[in-house]
Amino acid sequence: MDEEPRIGVFVCHCGLNIAGVIDVKAVTEYAKTLPNVVYAEHNPYTCADPGQESIKKAIKEYKLNRVVVAACSPRLHEPTFRRCVAEAGLNPYLLEMANIREHASWAHPSEPEKATEKAKELVKMAVAKARLLRPLEPFKVPVTKKALVIGGGIAGINAALDLAEMGFKVYLVEKKESIGGHMAQLDKTFPTLDCSICIEGPKMVEVARHPNIEIISFADILKVEGFVGNFKVKVRKNPRYVIEEKCTGCGECRNVCPIEYPNEWDEYMGVRKAISVPFDQAVPLVYTINRDYCIECYKCVEACGPREAINFDQQPEEIELEVGAIIVATGYDIYKPFDDPVYGYGKYDNVITSLEFERLILAAGPTGGKVVRASDGKRPRSVVIIQCVGSRDLKKHEWCSGFCCMYSLKHAIMLKEHYGEDIDVYILYMDMRTPFKGYEQFYRRAREMGVSFIRGKASEIVEDPETKNLYVRAEDVALGEPIEIEAELVILATAAVPAEGTEDLARILNLSRGSDGFFLESHPKLKPIDTPVDGIFLAGACQGPKDIPYSVSQGSGAAARAATILSKDEWLIEPIVAVVDPNKCRNVKVKCGICAQKCPYGAIKIEEGKPAQVVTAMCHGCGTCAAECPADAITQMHFTDAQIFAQIEAALEENPEEKILAFCCNWCSYAGSDLAGTSRFEYPPNVRIIRVMCSGRVDRDFVIDAFRKGAGMVLVAACHLPYDCHYISGNWRMKERMEALAKMLEKLGLTPDRFRVDYISAAEGLKFAELMKELTAKLMEIGKERIKAENQKLKPILDRMLARKGL
Amino acid sequence: MPMKLIKNEDENVIRVERKLHAKHYALTLDKSWCKGCGICVELCPREAITLKPIVRPSEGRANPPEIDIDVEKCNYCGICTAICPFGALTLEIDGKTEIPVINSESFPKLVRDVRVDAERCKVGCVDCEEACPLGLIKVSVTTPEGEVVEDLESIEDKESLKVKVDIDLEHCPCCRICEYKCPEGAIQVRKIFHGTLKINHELCPDDCQACLDVCPIPNVLYKEDGKVYVDERFCVYCGACKIVCPVEGALELNRTWISHVPVKSGAWNRAVEKLASTEAMAKLLKMKALERAKSSVEKRLGRRL
Ligand SMILES: Cc1cc2nc3c(=O)[nH]c(=O)nc-3n(C[C@H](O)[C@H](O)[C@H](O)COP(=O)(O)OP(=O)(O)OC[C@H]3O[C@@H](n4cnc5c(N)ncnc54)[C@H](O)[C@@H]3O)c2cc1C
Ligand code: SF4
Ligand code: SF4
Ligand code: SF4
Ligand code: SF4
Repeated sequence: MDEEPRIGVFVCHCGLNIAGVIDVKAVTEYAKTLPNVVYAEHNPYTCADPGQESIKKAIKEYKLNRVVVAACSPRLHEPTFRRCVAEAGLNPYLLEMANIREHASWAHPSEPEKATEKAKELVKMAVAKARLLRPLEPFKVPVTKKALVIGGGIAGINAALDLAEMGFKVYLVEKKESIGGHMAQLDKTFPTLDCSICIEGPKMVEVARHPNIEIISFADILKVEGFVGNFKVKVRKNPRYVIEEKCTGCGECRNVCPIEYPNEWDEYMGVRKAISVPFDQAVPLVYTINRDYCIECYKCVEACGPREAINFDQQPEEIELEVGAIIVATGYDIYKPFDDPVYGYGKYDNVITSLEFERLILAAGPTGGKVVRASDGKRPRSVVIIQCVGSRDLKKHEWCSGFCCMYSLKHAIMLKEHYGEDIDVYILYMDMRTPFKGYEQFYRRAREMGVSFIRGKASEIVEDPETKNLYVRAEDVALGEPIEIEAELVILATAAVPAEGTEDLARILNLSRGSDGFFLESHPKLKPIDTPVDGIFLAGACQGPKDIPYSVSQGSGAAARAATILSKDEWLIEPIVAVVDPNKCRNVKVKCGICAQKCPYGAIKIEEGKPAQVVTAMCHGCGTCAAECPADAITQMHFTDAQIFAQIEAALEENPEEKILAFCCNWCSYAGSDLAGTSRFEYPPNVRIIRVMCSGRVDRDFVIDAFRKGAGMVLVAACHLPYDCHYISGNWRMKERMEALAKMLEKLGLTPDRFRVDYISAAEGLKFAELMKELTAKLMEIGKERIKAENQKLKPILDRMLARKGL
Repeated sequence: MPMKLIKNEDENVIRVERKLHAKHYALTLDKSWCKGCGICVELCPREAITLKPIVRPSEGRANPPEIDIDVEKCNYCGICTAICPFGALTLEIDGKTEIPVINSESFPKLVRDVRVDAERCKVGCVDCEEACPLGLIKVSVTTPEGEVVEDLESIEDKESLKVKVDIDLEHCPCCRICEYKCPEGAIQVRKIFHGTLKINHELCPDDCQACLDVCPIPNVLYKEDGKVYVDERFCVYCGACKIVCPVEGALELNRTWISHVPVKSGAWNRAVEKLASTEAMAKLLKMKALERAKSSVEKRLGRRL
């Protein structure tokens, strides 16, 4: 594809949106003067059918092999025009857009002449890039039509069932002995008070029976490799010392086993035998020997008899799974406030957590459903439930754990239902949060049943050493004075925290976590189930505390998202990826691997003595590696160094010292600049924006080249730190890089104000406009003369820096 | 309530507890009964019992070894309770004395075979009571109606009186001293542990009599010409001596037989492996035709017995 470029430029009026400010004829005429432009025209609405037809016609008639559309933002209509040129037989990546609406007509309506000049330059920049565009083909990867669900709580169960019903094979990997998750620990569920295991049990059994689901329980995920459609997963099945296929679940071994140990499932309030199941409805119903406690008397072997299900020589078994999509549903854990002196948890016998209370009131629990105190085995006559223990607390966990208000109401109602007038129940709360269907009614029901609600935060609990009763001290917000309640039992509604092992799993799957430690979704609103890794989805409380209905819906949602991949035979990957030139890569000779370290997706493989290798299907096309590579060995397709240098050159050909050259990331700062235009926030027209997918793509050399070419000011704009970056951490890499560069430039004599790094979200149109005003004012203040002088001094040094590039 | 592990120790007892909201376990060591033989240390499957470091005073008698219990490790299985020859340990579950491994026949009860034919006893004889080194025997005299006679002199018809010998078997290590001391041959004792104990004098350091100092049964070990000798008639083969003996090999203890109610249990096979010498144990196992257990021992030793 080395034929001479034949570029067609299509200038849009957008009705009066563009043409009302900008002299579109002048722009069209100007375009015709640009090198390689063989055709230019202007249209009232280029995006409408006649406009598109006109482009197609011109491609054929003038044998165009590049198209530049000067119209609105590429964020809006790039896909439209790509389709359009493709229909005319041109590779869709041979299209470039000049954003003369958001960035010119809408941004500078009161300066039409300057806006027209700017529009011309934007076209010039687009043409400069277009000249260097290369045709690209999307990558196709085959899809393994199987899924992995990690975590068998109610979210994972629903995801697995939905996918299995759609006809996909599902592996459900659960680290504990049984699936079920927290829901299997609960007694009743709000707001309808149906028995938890009665509604979850049948689903668990359905999972076990479903021909498309394979439960791999008591297992750990060791390693995940590959990419969307093609994951390879290594799982370790831990030995139960009982052969799954042979165990009938009769429990005869349990009856003869002498050893008891504290049962985690009972929140360590009761015990289980060294050979046992954690609870009677366990799925799969396979017994497990806990060798930490077993004394190897082999009574169980004797009891098991001819079934021969027990095997003390069982070893851990590693298995490999191949799947096309992964759903993470690893849930949450409960905070145990041992470290908080206020509550005396772990010190006073009669202070328990809410989850302990669930096990206490559950008929199949360690006390047979009797709510009794640990100190004397008696039923309490007064109970204080304390909310937000460890939640909404800047010193502990900042977030609201979501379901505590509701389950505490449930506990209060259950106590009242069981014991009526015979029990006093107090709820000490800061705010009662009961949104969603039927929840507020549930709250009213609690109030009507006589539960006392006290607004305040517990400051101290003291125990009467004789009676073991507790005095809960708090400040009553309504009364504005301190109060003290005597309670025979205190229940702490403690925070929901990330499940143990979340950190490890994040590492294995290359997922990010929020500051709260829960898994981070791709976008909090529009991609709440997706992760930044294609093909991996989140469901349930592993992403943040969620109640059962919400977790169930998300399980189904994640199944649907996974099915969008699994239902295809091939998965297409946008070709805007990084490519390594093996001849340039330093790693062949010396140990380098910088690219692999900086890639937010771990998409680059490094082996000693070999050139770095990009796993194309894992590459998200941020271009960070291309900017970091010390040998310029990496090219980001469609955003190549040459293309960007050409844009810089075009932008700074005239009056460079008056201009601000801005590099804006597609998702936040470029979107912010678009919003400034859409909102008609006027700002000075001296900025020239170069769009990159991620700020991580902005090479030091781009900035150096801009100053060398005489730019008055350079701005690199990114998504906000710490978490807004669309590519996880590209903005952090840019920040590190630019901070070092800024120091160097300052040393070389550049006025620090002339180089700026800033963070602009897609919602901050105003911030963008204000920043442009601020920077322009500074530019004026510094003055053209000083800029010129500085640039002159800098140029030879900068030239030398870029000499290796042959620029 | 979250689980609590509690440990208390004073001069009389060590008590470890596992307190759950709905269940309570406690293991108590009565220090006055513990002779420091270390059998429990050897057998605890969780290595929860350890010997405290042995203090060797430069002057005077050697201290008997002492044990410690790790509250983090104890499993409350009761193996130690079942095996202690002196009955120094008690296990309680929810306040009731219980030994889970015995209930489930995962571990045998030791047989303390002490038979007294009180018919033969002479009214007024208290020789056994005086002879028992651990003070476990109480001899009493009763009227035909069963009333205990306090003042023998006051009774005319001595012929009609009956003698009653009560032995606290729980703490009895079955040393047989009472049997030997009984002038009427009314007592018959079978030892719990059988075996041999040999002292290799050439290895004993000069003046050492540590073993003698700690032996719970008087006169089993005695000194002559500055050397310690064994009278195996009364040795209970507990091994306290071996623990304090400062020279490896100076004291050779071999247990060849353990008297217990029959059980089939892997845990017990392993216990036997640890308590008895391998050769003796093989014989023991062969005799009991426990071929399975034998082959497991062979596997462990890596050779055929
Ligand atoms: C006291 C209390 C009462 C509650 N009452 C109610 C109620 O009445 N109604 C209601 O709607 N909600 C209630 N909830 C909330 C409810 O528990 C959650 O909504 C629900 O359990 C979330 O389901 P999940 O599947 O996301 O997570 P979980 O239930 O936490 O399940 C996660 C599963 O993943 C497994 N797992 C974790 N890590 C890994 C790993 N690395 N590899 C493999 N498997 C892993 C876990 O073992 C577990 O089986 C209550 C919560 C508490 C604490
Ligand atoms: S061998 Fe272990 S699991 Fe089996 S009965 Fe004995 S203690 Fe229990
Ligand atoms: S077995 Fe020995 S060491 Fe253990 S408690 Fe009994 S006497 Fe003491
Ligand atoms: S009860 Fe069992 S676990 Fe506990 S100390 Fe005794 S032998 Fe060891
Ligand atoms: S001599 Fe016998 S009774 Fe005395 S301590 Fe040694 S083994 Fe025990």
